[in-house]
Amino acid sequence: MEENKDLKIEKDELTGDELLAGHEYDGIKELNNALPKWWLWLFYLTIVFSAVYLLRYHVLKTADLQDAEYAKEMAAAAKNIQANKPATDGTALLTDPANLAAGKVVYDKLCAVCHLAEGQGLVGPNLTDEYWIHGGSMEDIVEIIVKGNPSKGMISWEKQLKPLEIQQVASYIYEMEGTNPPNPKAPEGQIYKRD
Amino acid sequence: MEIEKFYYDNKIVKYFAYATILWGVVGMLVGLIAALQLVIPSLSFDFSMTTFGRIRPLHTNAAIFAFVGNAIFMGVYHSLQRLSKARMFSDTLSMIHFWGWQAIIVAAALTLLLGYTSGKEYAELEWPIDIAITIIWVVFGWNMFETILKRRTSHIYVAIWFYIATFVTVAVLHIVNSLAVPVGFMKSYSLFAGVQDALVQWWYGHNAVAFFLTTPYLGLMYYYLPKAANRPIYSYKLSIIHFWALIFLYIWAGPHHLLYSSLPDWTQALGVTFSVMLIAPSWGGMLNGLLTLRGAWDKVREDPVLKFLVVAVTAYGLATFEGPMLSLKSVNALAHFTDWIIGHVHIGALGWNGFMTFGIIYWLIPKIFKTELFSKKLANIHFWLGTLGILIYAIPLYWGGVTQALMWKEFTPEGFLKYPNFLETVTQIIPMYHARAFGGALYLIGAIIMVYNVIKTVKAGSFVANEAVEAPARVQVESKRQKGEGYHRWLERKPIQFMAWALVAILIGGAVEVVPTYLIKSNIPTIESVKPYTPLELQGRDIYIREGCYVCHSQWVRPFRSETERYGEYSKAGEFVYDHPFQWGSRRTGPDLARIGVVTERNYKPDSWHYNHMADPQSVSPQSIMPAYPWLISNKLDNKTLTRKIEVMQYFGVPYPEGYGDNQALIDLEVQANKIANNLKNGGIETTSDKEIIALIAYLQRLGTDIYKK
Repeated sequence: MEENKDLKIEKDELTGDELLAGHEYDGIKELNNALPKWWLWLFYLTIVFSAVYLLRYHVLKTADLQDAEYAKEMAAAAKNIQANKPATDGTALLTDPANLAAGKVVYDKLCAVCHLAEGQGLVGPNLTDEYWIHGGSMEDIVEIIVKGNPSKGMISWEKQLKPLEIQQVASYIYEMEGTNPPNPKAPEGQIYKRD
Repeated sequence: MEIEKFYYDNKIVKYFAYATILWGVVGMLVGLIAALQLVIPSLSFDFSMTTFGRIRPLHTNAAIFAFVGNAIFMGVYHSLQRLSKARMFSDTLSMIHFWGWQAIIVAAALTLLLGYTSGKEYAELEWPIDIAITIIWVVFGWNMFETILKRRTSHIYVAIWFYIATFVTVAVLHIVNSLAVPVGFMKSYSLFAGVQDALVQWWYGHNAVAFFLTTPYLGLMYYYLPKAANRPIYSYKLSIIHFWALIFLYIWAGPHHLLYSSLPDWTQALGVTFSVMLIAPSWGGMLNGLLTLRGAWDKVREDPVLKFLVVAVTAYGLATFEGPMLSLKSVNALAHFTDWIIGHVHIGALGWNGFMTFGIIYWLIPKIFKTELFSKKLANIHFWLGTLGILIYAIPLYWGGVTQALMWKEFTPEGFLKYPNFLETVTQIIPMYHARAFGGALYLIGAIIMVYNVIKTVKAGSFVANEAVEAPARVQVESKRQKGEGYHRWLERKPIQFMAWALVAILIGGAVEVVPTYLIKSNIPTIESVKPYTPLELQGRDIYIREGCYVCHSQWVRPFRSETERYGEYSKAGEFVYDHPFQWGSRRTGPDLARIGVVTERNYKPDSWHYNHMADPQSVSPQSIMPAYPWLISNKLDNKTLTRKIEVMQYFGVPYPEGYGDNQALIDLEVQANKIANNLKNGGIETTSDKEIIALIAYLQRLGTDIYKK
């Protein structure tokens, strides 16, 4: 350093570190300390990490991009669900109070939005008269709950309700027929005669 | 050597200091109101101007641009004069800058509350204000640069490097991200759409953090910390390396806000890697600050100024480690859309920016008033209240964020979502919101104590408007690099070249990420069935933007089983090509709405549900924390600018038929509106088809449906 030649090297009195000559700004001086070693290694490490990261994902393609990651996650889940699938007896009418009460809970939470609390119908059809668009047997009711009729706004509940819950809510709905709530929606569909 | 006599302008410093304090308290107060609204939704008062969707942007804008903005100017105007041994170039420019900035803040506050917003986070202000910001920013830069050029010192100090980088980068970010075509006096559409708009927005958004909340504050740290501690800077070499590394790397990191979105994978990977590489350059600043205190730690125990500065630098170190960790895909998959992020940014905002500002104010006010601080004890109380406030604010949000994320992701063994009802995951973290509001209140009380302390100090002192100084004139050195002069040392006496290099450093990352995404078609694969919005849906979308729905609802389903199960098919790039601006959001206080219109997905709701829900959310979901929007029910939809809106969209390339806006658009709008009004009637709701709610319902029912059409 040419400019330092004539100057005596000044030291910071508290730490003994070398001060840089000519570096003084409104009284602030600067020390001639080197970069902390560990800091420098940290920096190198992150650069190496980044290089490996980009290589793996985008050059060697040994790591999954997000679409592939998703496909794997879904496949693993499907296998797992298959293994855990509960046995179901499907469509038999449940008449005991406990099951009907459970059905009411589901109904109030999910169905009442469109069919109203007493089943009199709003966006969805009236569930209390003897007219049914998709048939009024237990099998029919379970089927429409499972599959839905998306174009009319009735969604498929298969992914949200367990088989038993579907059976419970279908039973609750089945039992609604003939309850004659106030302000019913006009009948839709055909008359379904129960056996 | 000739000694020159001149005066520092302290008046402008005082002005900016007072503005900092005023807007700081206002910004924090608005933040506290927003925090309380999340616990008590009725605090939105069923009134448009006080709903969360408008209050929250007011809070962020006030905290960032009013509080921190004024603090930057306070510190720059104070330190720059002293580091340059020169008065500011022009008192007139200083005053234009000051009053211009305050006018912008007032205009921003009013227009945000009135619902004028561009719908892009931290860049919500509409085009006339954007233009005003640009002009005032140039006034600032001009004033600053002329001062640097007429300096009496030979070299520019590291603080000034940071000021220069701040000036050029913010100018670039602000101008590019604000590019928009006006459709009216206070309404415009972003030039960019969908994925591209998201990328530009978060290139801006992240670097607003970098170049508005970080680099200017590092500059301030490099002046006030050694001054207050009376210690030399630990390492000049570290200053050089971390400065250039920081500004070069930072600009690439934006895409980490868009991990697992439909942004191309390669852009996301750049966001991840450059964020990770930012740890060391960020910590370089922290180290140079903390190691400067070697030999002076006993002073830290005594001096409240140093306490504030030390906690500020430590908070900076924490936040800049946490940031890169949050950029890792696995961590991000959990943390994104949750309150973890809100906690993270407040470590930065309250810890780094807030405490640094308080420290500077406590140091600077007594200096320019030629007195001592009125009460060290009160400053210490402020310090402890603030520190506790930060902890009580942030820790519950981390806790709540992780809790909620885990609940979103949990499945039962049968393969059902454990918490299918989004609201369950909200009610679970309400206690955390209470704690957060309490922490924020403590922090605000601390700030109010500071106000009192400052007033008492000011009253006891006598203000030195023009501080007399003497300094030798600058020694003229040949422009060429001298023998033995290091390259960087040479650059330090060449501010224009310095600025040019800083500009080059920050343009590279932005260009590499943004330009290909804009120009190369394969980055945004188009989808045949995705069609432009109908006129009514477009109008509804503008209401969605006006009400700040994006503040709480995302429109972006990530490719995770837990999200496709809950919301529907994950989002594709081609779905957003007509979205000027994009509305992906960043926080799910409420559920994602990307597929809300898809009848076969679980979140689908009929028109009447939306109507009732907007009128009174708690009547539909008793525990909901969403505010009510009764004015949407009564307001008539304003179609005056519809023609212009369609024309602007056509200008962007949205394929409406030629001349569509002239007549046909309005006819189609009315047909669709009548259909929805009829639906509502069938659902037992009496309304007319000319209401705003009808348009909003039309938009919501359209969302996400196109790719389901065959």
